[in-house]
Amino acid sequence: MDFSITEDQATLTQGVRDYLAGVHTPEVLRALDASDSRRSPDVWQGLVEMGLPGLLVPDAEGGLGLSLLDAVLIAAEFGRAGVAEPLADTALVAAPLLAKAGGQEALLAAMAAGEAKVALQHPVNPWVADLDGASHILSVEDGALLLAERSGGAELIDSVDPLRRLYAPVAAAGTAVGSADALLDHAALIAAAQLVGVADAMLEQATDYAKNRSQFGQPIGSFQAVKHHLATAVVKIEFAKPVIQRAAIALQENAASAPVHVSHAKLAAADAAWAMSETAIQAHGAMGYTYEVDLHFWMKRAWALAGAWGDRAFHLARIDAAVIGGALPIGPGHSFA
Amino acid sequence: MDLAYTPEQQDFRAEVRAWMEANVPKEPLVTLEREDGYHQHVEWERKLASGNWGMVTWPEAYGGRGLDLIQWLIFEEEYYRAGAPLRVNQNGIFLLGPTVMEFGTDEQKARFLTPMAKGEVIWAQAWSEPNAGSDMAAITSKAIRDGDHYVISGQKTWSSRASFADWGFGLFRTDPESKRHKGLSFILFDLNAPGVTRRPIRQLHGDPGFAELFFDEVRVPVANRIAGEGEGWNVAMATAGFERGLMLRSPARFQATAERLVKLFRQHEAKAAPAAREQVMQAWMDAQAYAYNTYAVASKIMAGGHIGAEASLNKIFWSELDRAAHRTAMQILGASAELRHLNGGALNAWLEGYIFSLSGPIYAGSNEIQRNIIAERLLGLPR
Repeated sequence: MDFSITEDQATLTQGVRDYLAGVHTPEVLRALDASDSRRSPDVWQGLVEMGLPGLLVPDAEGGLGLSLLDAVLIAAEFGRAGVAEPLADTALVAAPLLAKAGGQEALLAAMAAGEAKVALQHPVNPWVADLDGASHILSVEDGALLLAERSGGAELIDSVDPLRRLYAPVAAAGTAVGSADALLDHAALIAAAQLVGVADAMLEQATDYAKNRSQFGQPIGSFQAVKHHLATAVVKIEFAKPVIQRAAIALQENAASAPVHVSHAKLAAADAAWAMSETAIQAHGAMGYTYEVDLHFWMKRAWALAGAWGDRAFHLARIDAAVIGGALPIGPGHSFA
Repeated sequence: MDLAYTPEQQDFRAEVRAWMEANVPKEPLVTLEREDGYHQHVEWERKLASGNWGMVTWPEAYGGRGLDLIQWLIFEEEYYRAGAPLRVNQNGIFLLGPTVMEFGTDEQKARFLTPMAKGEVIWAQAWSEPNAGSDMAAITSKAIRDGDHYVISGQKTWSSRASFADWGFGLFRTDPESKRHKGLSFILFDLNAPGVTRRPIRQLHGDPGFAELFFDEVRVPVANRIAGEGEGWNVAMATAGFERGLMLRSPARFQATAERLVKLFRQHEAKAAPAAREQVMQAWMDAQAYAYNTYAVASKIMAGGHIGAEASLNKIFWSELDRAAHRTAMQILGASAELRHLNGGALNAWLEGYIFSLSGPIYAGSNEIQRNIIAERLLGLPR
């Protein structure tokens, strides 16, 4: 029993954080927002050069062969940086699913090289993200997960998140590579992980603002009302993190209880990020209500990810069946059931 | 990260489980806040000690088993799984014990720790004074040096266990000219010493769980001071860290509450308010999150790390989840919630638990103080 991340994992996570902080700045987000496509080959190329698309691709296909625990730590950094490119879907969701399915070596190698991108279509979502730029699509029919090359279908749907590119779903087709449930659990886990990164970014922005904005002759961060709002948000964020890590291990090990833990992770992360978003705008005051302050990018991402890959009702229903329904053993001694 | 227990850890769990099943009282004890219940709980402490379960993480030399924190968590899980009684000596074993371990001399360790682990001496805490609650640096009780003794005069209040316990510990002003955090010393005293008067205070539930203490020139040997004269504040802060940090509230306690709450909800499902369903699930989720976090902190400490201001996050989380879980139960019970006894005589444990849960956000540093600590030390906001 050891509930800790390794030094290597911490170093890698910090490396990704530092790299993204350098190349994926708020200026980049604003520039993408001002562009037609909201996507940039240069930004994508930068992510490829860092090796990010290959993190979960097996070594043999030119990747690093990392685990889902690594994936959630990295996904949080994508959330923190507000990454808009379809990196998480391809690198952290599709890659482990296709590696597990087997027989997709060529595609995995192309994904690691940044040449192939996989869009994820699942009936739990009324849209598909980044369909137009995708070379492949995973979709669902009769509970099976199908892989196909992407063709046609690029009817754009407007999202409040200016950097999300959503499209209407297309007809499902392709070869079976797993189950619809596996896609949902992987994608919900990665959404949860991004959400805590999004929350951490908003916390940092709100804290900086509270330190620098003066009213009544002193920084507003010296007022207990502001301090306590922020402290309350920190508690929610920090207690979501171990839940996500625990879910990552359960899913990695194919534990029967993994879906329950993924749902717990998604709920905890969405609640934390949503609460943080309201705390952050409140700390920013009227500035937070403007499009000029960058906070809105993360706030809108939080709303979007909270509803994606299973909303509150969906995940609560799974907890309900397991915990109140009695499928999962609970109580002292069942911490890791 | 490896979330599987080793065979040795599984064997240890089986050993604890077998002992608890054989020894935990079949009938619940009377509340430890009453004199008869207090003595029942002391008897239980001694029974635990007879099995060498008094404080499993302590060195064998002081009555412990020298176990690690993961084993401690397993022990706690089995303890609460068996429905074993509350620890009447928690002020001693969870707060003072680690303090003496860290700051005490070898002589003090031998003198105080072993009787503590054996349940021979039950400890009360004596932090607060009438005008020094959250603002503990406002303490005015004095301990004036007189040869190899201190002469203590003053008043403490809201002292947990002090109505019936044997010994107490607290901060006293050893430099009468000093102000605030300076000039304080951490001193242990015999509650039966001449000059100590206890006035039991009835708590919310009606029983005298804590007491007011009056000191009228009480002579205490200088050898009862932990760490140096005037270093009391730092020692107390370390003690408070233990209190709100890892040990005082093990996750098993809240997992047991969540499990009972789920069972209560199932019994009352037909008439429960729609929101209760989600609150019950939230109680389970929060108890689990607290468990994962505690395992993470334990793993970190075992790898040589330590817990600092993050302890304040823990204290807020467990105290507020406990209150919410019990409030949910009270609302599910509806018109029966106010009844002192349920089901033909058994104590209404949800009512008792709810009342106790209201103290959680107040003691061990109020949650307002914890939020200040988080804002100032973790986020770096200005004082």
